[in-house]
Amino acid sequence: MAYKIASERLGKIGDEFEPTDDVNIEALIEGGFIQSTSKVQKTAKTEASEQE
Amino acid sequence: MATSTYLQSPSVVINSVDVSDQTTSATFTRVIEQLEKTAFGSTNRSYTSGLENSTLTVTLYQSFAASETYATLAALVGTNVTVSVAPASGAQSATNPKFTLTGAYLESLPLVAGSYGQLSTIDITFTGGAYTVAIV
Amino acid sequence: MATTTLLQNPTVSVGANDLTDQCTAATFTRVIEQLEKTAFGSTNRSYTAGLENSTITLTLYQSFASTETYDYLKSIVGTSTNVVIKATSAATSSTNPQFTLTGCYLESLPLITGSYGQLSTIDLSFVGGSYSVATS
Repeated sequence: MAYKIASERLGKIGDEFEPTDDVNIEALIEGGFIQSTSKVQKTAKTEASEQE
Repeated sequence: MATSTYLQSPSVVINSVDVSDQTTSATFTRVIEQLEKTAFGSTNRSYTSGLENSTLTVTLYQSFAASETYATLAALVGTNVTVSVAPASGAQSATNPKFTLTGAYLESLPLVAGSYGQLSTIDITFTGGAYTVAIV
Repeated sequence: MATTTLLQNPTVSVGANDLTDQCTAATFTRVIEQLEKTAFGSTNRSYTAGLENSTITLTLYQSFASTETYDYLKSIVGTSTNVVIKATSAATSSTNPQFTLTGCYLESLPLITGSYGQLSTIDLSFVGGSYSVATS
């Protein structure tokens, strides 16, 4: 999962945040310091069949 | 001539968040517990090293604004946290080492603390965890 | 830039009673007890979360007038009650959270305290109960 910096207290806003194993990610998200940038997978579209 | 250290602009980082500008006091104490090994025949007490149990105590201005003290700490109480302190804000060096406790425990977090006419400050203590020091 | 909190106009209520205008100091501390989990093989002590045991301490002007300090508190000592504190009297929000201890216990109530030339104040400690925070 990828994260983006949302507060200057972690670095440059907008930069990617690469957490180490000892970082509490949930606390940073809850505090508004980082945001998750993972996109939700879209479901496949079903094409409508043509009727003659 | 002897030199000294004036903590004018130290670096204090809690869970990757730089809280230096909220911090008024920081005390990082390395503790390696003393275990007594005095035995018959000695005329003085003697000790050997036990477990490490270092601590970091920090005094912060309380603030509920975004990305400030409460936002940094609220979710950390009752968890293990990585904290670090350096005497100055510049690059690490032999004369500006960064001290880190990885996995230190935050047992207690004052939420509202203060008296009339005074800015609200909170004292927090991180205990235990693995100690490291970086000079680069 | 760092921000601060001045407890100029917090709100303090004990049970259903607003004691704000009798209160000169308030400290709400969230405590999640540390349990040691250090085992052989570790060189440092490490801890994990135990039970929550948060506390609230208040300093109040003593008064025996109707609907004042003693009148509100005399039947609460030795019981569990709810205490609610906000840093300011403004609407509850993420920057003005409302902290509550539900079912916290008041063990001790000073009745007469003071010295000559000083207004009488009492210190109360509420312990335990269930912690919650509201941001709206």
